[in-house]
Amino acid sequence: MLNNALFSRRRMLQTAGCGFGSLALTDLIHAATNPGAVHFPGIVPKAKRVIFLFMAGGPSQQDLFDPKEFIRERHGQKIDSPLRPEVIQVGTEKYLALGAVAPVRPRGESGMMISDLMPQLSSIADDICLLRGMNADNPQHASATNQFHTGVFTEVRPSMGAWISYGLGTENQNLPSFISIHAPGLRTYGSGFLPAAHQGTPLTVPLSEQTLPIENLLNVSSSGAIQRSRLDMTRRLNQQLIEDLHGDSNMEGMIQNMELAFRMQTTTPQLVDLSKETQETFDLYGIGSGKGSDRNGRACLLARKLSESGVRFTQVTMDGWDHHGDIRGNLPRLCDQTDQPVVGLIKDLKRRGLLDDTLVLWSGEFGRTPWSQDLSGTAPIDTHGREHQPESFCAWMAGGGIKSGFTHGETDHMGYRVVAGKVHIHDLHATMLHLLGIDHTKLTSNHLGRDFRLTDVHGSVVKEILA
Amino acid sequence: MMRTATFLLSLLGVMTSAIAEEPGRFTDEQLNFFESKIRPVLVDHCYECHAAGAKIVQGGLRLDHRDGLLKGGDTGTAIVAHKADQSLLIKALKYDGVEMPPKGKLPASVIKDFETWIAMGAPDPREAAPGGPRPKVDLNEGRKFWAFQPVSDSPPPIVKDGAWPIESLDHFILAKLEASDLKPVGDADRYTWLRRVSLDLTGLPPTPNEIDAFIRDNSPRACEAVVDRLLASRAFGERWARHWLDLTGYADMMGTSNNVFAEHAWRYRDYLIEAYHKDKPFDRFVREQIAGDLLPATSPTEQAENITATGFLMVGDVEIVEPDKKKLEADHIDTQVNKIGMTFLGMTLGCVRCHDHKFDPLQLSDYYGIAGIMRSSPSTHKIPFGVWSLLNSTDLPETPVQLAARQKLETDHETKLAEMKAEREKLEGERKSVIAELEEIAKQEKNEADAAAKTGVVQTADETESPLMKKERLTKHRDALSARLQPLGPAIQHAEFFRSKVPRAFAMQEDDQPADMPIYIRGNPYAPGAIVPRGVIQVASWDKAATIPAGQSGRLQLADWLADSRNPLTSRVIVNRIWQKLFGEGLVRSVDYFGTRGERPSHPELLDHLATRFLHDGWSHKKLIRSLVLSRTYRLSSTNDPMALTTDPDNRLLWRSNRQRLDAEAIRDGLLAVSGELVPSEGGPALVLEFTENCGDLVQIGVNPPNYSHRRPRPTQEFQRSIYLPVMRTNTTNLDRIRNHFDFVNPAQIAGQRPQTVVPTQSLFVMNNDLFRKRAKVLADRLIAEAPQADIRIEQLWLRVFNRPITTTEQKNVTTFLRELDAGLPDMDAAAKESLKWQELCHSLLASNEFIFRI
Repeated sequence: MLNNALFSRRRMLQTAGCGFGSLALTDLIHAATNPGAVHFPGIVPKAKRVIFLFMAGGPSQQDLFDPKEFIRERHGQKIDSPLRPEVIQVGTEKYLALGAVAPVRPRGESGMMISDLMPQLSSIADDICLLRGMNADNPQHASATNQFHTGVFTEVRPSMGAWISYGLGTENQNLPSFISIHAPGLRTYGSGFLPAAHQGTPLTVPLSEQTLPIENLLNVSSSGAIQRSRLDMTRRLNQQLIEDLHGDSNMEGMIQNMELAFRMQTTTPQLVDLSKETQETFDLYGIGSGKGSDRNGRACLLARKLSESGVRFTQVTMDGWDHHGDIRGNLPRLCDQTDQPVVGLIKDLKRRGLLDDTLVLWSGEFGRTPWSQDLSGTAPIDTHGREHQPESFCAWMAGGGIKSGFTHGETDHMGYRVVAGKVHIHDLHATMLHLLGIDHTKLTSNHLGRDFRLTDVHGSVVKEILA
Repeated sequence: MMRTATFLLSLLGVMTSAIAEEPGRFTDEQLNFFESKIRPVLVDHCYECHAAGAKIVQGGLRLDHRDGLLKGGDTGTAIVAHKADQSLLIKALKYDGVEMPPKGKLPASVIKDFETWIAMGAPDPREAAPGGPRPKVDLNEGRKFWAFQPVSDSPPPIVKDGAWPIESLDHFILAKLEASDLKPVGDADRYTWLRRVSLDLTGLPPTPNEIDAFIRDNSPRACEAVVDRLLASRAFGERWARHWLDLTGYADMMGTSNNVFAEHAWRYRDYLIEAYHKDKPFDRFVREQIAGDLLPATSPTEQAENITATGFLMVGDVEIVEPDKKKLEADHIDTQVNKIGMTFLGMTLGCVRCHDHKFDPLQLSDYYGIAGIMRSSPSTHKIPFGVWSLLNSTDLPETPVQLAARQKLETDHETKLAEMKAEREKLEGERKSVIAELEEIAKQEKNEADAAAKTGVVQTADETESPLMKKERLTKHRDALSARLQPLGPAIQHAEFFRSKVPRAFAMQEDDQPADMPIYIRGNPYAPGAIVPRGVIQVASWDKAATIPAGQSGRLQLADWLADSRNPLTSRVIVNRIWQKLFGEGLVRSVDYFGTRGERPSHPELLDHLATRFLHDGWSHKKLIRSLVLSRTYRLSSTNDPMALTTDPDNRLLWRSNRQRLDAEAIRDGLLAVSGELVPSEGGPALVLEFTENCGDLVQIGVNPPNYSHRRPRPTQEFQRSIYLPVMRTNTTNLDRIRNHFDFVNPAQIAGQRPQTVVPTQSLFVMNNDLFRKRAKVLADRLIAEAPQADIRIEQLWLRVFNRPITTTEQKNVTTFLRELDAGLPDMDAAAKESLKWQELCHSLLASNEFIFRI
């Protein structure tokens, strides 16, 4: 049960040998090693790292990527519900078709359908692969978010970032292999039954001096020197105890960590400091005070920097997509907050030659219904929103080993059920692991007598989208 | 999870009409049709999941031989020869209820081919089934596994060093050590033992007075006196109840979504504290957990306790906002069955929801036997509006005194509510008249303006208050009234919502029509299979299952089976759990899993010996714990021994004591105890629902259920033991951030043993978090106030934090440290400086390993 193997004295010395403190990034480390690193014959890795752009809340595919003529023509009129009678929804009882918020048009050479609300994304349609047959199993945020991150929505299991860290180890000894920027809840970055070294490090991009990128980062003593004397006192006590006990690896870990933590107080703010970036970079990511895209832009820029430095799995969460009402007012705002940062990231990765071996995934935990939702029951159609829909939704991928300018998957006439190219969450996970050179059926960890996988007993690689 | 084909009940009707046709009856032309049109499609689109080579044959359906098609999978036959419209395969291809292949519908022409083919009688030359049939669970073979064997006591083994053992258990430990040529390390000193036993039994360190009393006590019964004192304290109940909560998925929230408050959950927590405090016999305890509501009771208090106990099956993670209620029911039953399996039996029953257990002799019928019992005891209900359900709760019986007190509460509440309503009415009336006056002024102004425009004459008022002044006064008055009205709305809403003061508990209830349930194929409630009689786990049964009388759920029979002394698992599992809490690792290290893929006991005879004693001692926790902590083995020092380390690096044979990092609760509670701030609590609600600002919208309409956010804590909460703090599911409150960092068990999880991780964010926490910083300050000021001399302060400090005397080296270190600080701190008021210096010193101890670990 003790996850102490990583902190033996020798290990610490080795780690120290490769240059503690030499990088601003150093001290975030969880000293991830590769306990699970295995070679999977027959799979050539195409990507070395993943950036997951999580659109929390569930973006509407009918409005963004998968508009239906059937729905557009019947805007405001009743349509037949395809729901099983046992499934309850509130505010959708009238089943009114709700046409797209803005025109969705063919883009790029492939004619990929993308909304006018995302002009930037439209301009790079030939760089991405659109998945229109995404499929998940649960219509509630918390459960669906758990499933998207861990494969299941009931039990507590490791997050995909933890699995990838476990499978590949770290690319840079001085960095955690899994960082989650603006993480949506504890379970999305947990390591479950995998060693704690693979747990994600939650990070907040500070927009002001008052916000700390990591909890408890602010020295509470009256000066750095005073704090240092206090820590030295603690260290003397700790060392005496270890000598008395003739060694204890957990306690050694605590001693080392206190030194790391001390340095993190100065290095972490440096790590997240974007003040030395150029105006051109700021513009590329949509960073600027007063801009709606500022926060996401900073997060995306930081993600690029972390990813470039060797973080295996970087997640950026952008929330606010849960448009139960007034989707015509809300969706354009969300697109405005995210379009520039997301596309800035892709362009930046591309020009740095990183897109070839970085896999970028954009997705929400589910999508939204083609029919409208109106909780008041009396509002005019143009102020309605949409209900959650896991049966079908859209995601896109770009970069390492993924076809570009390619649309995969198709839904029925109204955009409810997937009729071709279904990609279940498990399939998405399997494909992601495959691109990283991991056989999803072989990356396992034993827990309570059973070998567990990210994909449980499911999932198959979506070969159609591999470059 | 639920993505395998959704097979429909209605289709089961056709399974018997499948007719196996002989291949000889088909013409070459028909077989050619199969070869050219059908086989390639099956190979390309179906074999991946439905053939011998598949990693897992999905739904038990094999399409790589003729019998496979006719016999079908878990749901029955895939095709009915000559009857395409009755064939499940065609429905699936057409995406009619079932969707196959899952990656996309095949072209209409291909589906047409399949229809033609079935109309021909499904000509198919493929005879032999590649691979054999799935092996069935062999119960007789399964019973040979150690965990399913009856518990059998064996006498304590003879040891060479007869002087070492104190307790019978020490014989078992020493015999194994001697067999491996190992010697136990020496005993821990008395200070260490006292700290260890205090933390293990109560989760709190000993006080200076307790240390003093013990050290001065030279009698041979000194240790016993300490143990008896600790066992008798309420703190023991508070500590051990929390261990049990780790097995229940307990939280003060109903599910993961929306922070829906579980306002009665605390009663189960309080029940546990009381049960451990009173040393409720474990067999009785088990019966209450499963079927307390059905047990006879001699008083309202006892009955209330029994009902509350069934909260065990209610307090887990229930996805109450799941809009598909069949799925909600199936998922919740799954958490209940899994909880029963893991907590009492050390079995991973959750695996058996979809198929017979892969490694252990557990069958679908075992799972659905228990699931049927749970299904006959519904625990949630859909509310009339919105999509969500709520946990069922039961009114608790009250004593006449309780009843009177409660009625008084309700009367007072009604009075207050009426007052607020009257107040609102009054203010609203007043506001209305002010508005009317304002409107009147506006009208007048308009009239005057109109008149002025016509005549060019502006009239001046002859009153003392000019219209402008009046308007200003009235506007102010209106705004003041609005401001007073504004909080009244939510306050009245709140008071109406929490009108009833009837004590309630989340509790199990019997269904009106208890019944056996069908197997849910692949766990899917929309794919019912054969009906399974309600019952218990066969491989662990010594007798035929008890019959469940008509009209009963079967919980009583299940409870009796679990709490029977003949049950081979119950006593072993709980004894092992208790052992783990005291010795760091279980005799079976996989404390939640006693199956074939789990760990074998390091000392099987000892485990059975303890289990037997436990049963003989009336299933008493306290008696067992008492003998364990008074043993020689428990007394061992935790110092390493290089020789023993090479032979037994994991210390499986217990040649020394295992060191443990304290859990989040023990660290927090210990800090408060050491600083003297800990406030005793009698229990009661964890959520601060009495403050309106903590409650979301309480009007019961709309899409989301009423929710909770911990904006305003109760003033005492900061100083209460951690078990009394709210347990949230998706986030934490500011009170217990420490849980995030020190391996608190996720409340969606059942975990008998917490991991002990070592990550840098923990160090940041001890260095900078207020929890440590504030305690250091309070402790420092207390020491300063209590003792003027520095050396006495230091002695006291060591005694309080490390529970031992300070050494001379340490004394020197402290003196140097304080001097350094004195020089390093800027000029300030002397008293402030003194306080700050001692705060730094206290903090340095509180953040050290000696405080955070128990050695």
